[in-house]
Amino acid sequence: MSKAIEYTYFPGCMIPFRLPHFELTMREVLRRLNIELIADEGHTCCPEPTTFTGVDYEAWLTVGARNIAVSESTGRDTMALCSGCFHTLSMVRYTLQSDNETRERLNKRLKRIGMIATGEVAVKNILHVLHEDVGLERIRKSIVQPLKNLSIAAHYGCHLVRPIEATHMDDAEDPMWMEDLIEVTGAKPVDYPDKMACCGAPISPSDESKSFVLAGEKLLKIRDAGADAIVLVCPTCYTQMEMQQKKAIEHLDPEFSLPILYLGEMMALAMGMSDLVVENARRYHRVKIQPLLEKMGVGK
Amino acid sequence: MNTDSLDTSRLMRNQFKLRFAKCELIDLTPSSVSSDLEFRNWILRQPEGKTLRRCYQCGRCTGACPIAEIDQSFNPRLFLEKVILADESLAENQLIWTCLTCEQCEVRCPEHVKIPQILILAKVRGLVAGNTPQTALDRARTILSEGRTIQVSDPMLKTRDKMGLPSLGSPPVKQLAEALKDLGLVEKLENIESIYGGDRDE
Ligand code: SF4
Ligand code: SF4
Repeated sequence: MSKAIEYTYFPGCMIPFRLPHFELTMREVLRRLNIELIADEGHTCCPEPTTFTGVDYEAWLTVGARNIAVSESTGRDTMALCSGCFHTLSMVRYTLQSDNETRERLNKRLKRIGMIATGEVAVKNILHVLHEDVGLERIRKSIVQPLKNLSIAAHYGCHLVRPIEATHMDDAEDPMWMEDLIEVTGAKPVDYPDKMACCGAPISPSDESKSFVLAGEKLLKIRDAGADAIVLVCPTCYTQMEMQQKKAIEHLDPEFSLPILYLGEMMALAMGMSDLVVENARRYHRVKIQPLLEKMGVGK
Repeated sequence: MNTDSLDTSRLMRNQFKLRFAKCELIDLTPSSVSSDLEFRNWILRQPEGKTLRRCYQCGRCTGACPIAEIDQSFNPRLFLEKVILADESLAENQLIWTCLTCEQCEVRCPEHVKIPQILILAKVRGLVAGNTPQTALDRARTILSEGRTIQVSDPMLKTRDKMGLPSLGSPPVKQLAEALKDLGLVEKLENIESIYGGDRDE
């Protein structure tokens, strides 16, 4: 096989330490597609875009620019698995590119630590890498266990997609890249109302009850559309949809069960790496995914 | 709680002016605004804030907002109006922290006003008044001290090891502090008390 394509891996905080099965499954999926993720120990928290921005926006830009500078020094494109990290890095990169005054101000701070950020090196999310860089045809060839019986709804989450001028995604209101990937795995993509509605997680620090209402509405709409599962990319959306679903079960409907799959898990299942998913299912899934695995004839 | 009441005559006068000042934001006379004029002027100079000059108060942002849908006192159009009017009540309004930053408003705004960004800047402004959720302050402190939003424990490292995932080292926090030193964030975080308290029940 030819030499692997390398990306600089931006790890962030949530995925590597709280949800390492995200990284595990996606690394294996990417390996099958001849891609390696190279970590750089110089990176810090991105910083996360939902609360740190509102504490000190200028510090957010500065720490983000420092991470961009680390990434640029590797000479490779950077890929962030986490949507929050991706959002921060792509926003800061956009600012560096489009706003000279801010770029100069940020670089004055970086100069003190011997760094420079230009915004010239690409920052990508996993959908850019899979859908655009690898392409659906190559992925299709690596599918060995099509998810034939499953109907799966895509939840994109806000920060992966918006604002479009910084994220370079396909569409701000009706993105389709994840549905394309669902289709390639052999499953049926499920359309549902208000696909881009927020999961509600960003406001759990300030208003837990509103946060719950938003997640509950979203889950109901997806269930009513007939999905067997939700597939997503973002660790914050994942945690929110799982935790709030537990609460919804207590408050609203004891029968409610809508498994949440990370994109890497869905692809690993279709690529014949179900062991990787089954091994970690109990530890990292609050909503049981066993019924889903049974439906596709995997696991016990 | 009604923090949204404004002097009606002032409001009408200014709304009238705003409607006819789509491209060029008129300078409100200092006597017609409360003391947050400096903040307003600062926001209007920021790259994101400049977009506020294009707002003609049509209200489509509020119509698109999922939070406004479940809580009528949350009104992005009105928040923007308060920024323009330099209304100081905004800095202390806890509702601004219930903005999801989901950008649904911005997607629907005919003028592409950077509404979520402007609300973020309003949150920053609110820090002096302690209008910052405790979790946000704690997270910011952890980011500065650990270089991460969480404390990494031994079991976490062991799990990574067992999964065969590479080591990520320890973030260069000293370097981070050096880059940030002129911002005085550490000092600010030492002195701020959140008005939200430990947990807020409604
Ligand atoms: S939609 Fe845009 S122009 Fe209309 S009120 Fe909101 S911010 Fe202003
Ligand atoms: S970003 Fe904030 S104001 Fe805009 S639609 Fe979302 S919650 Fe509403």
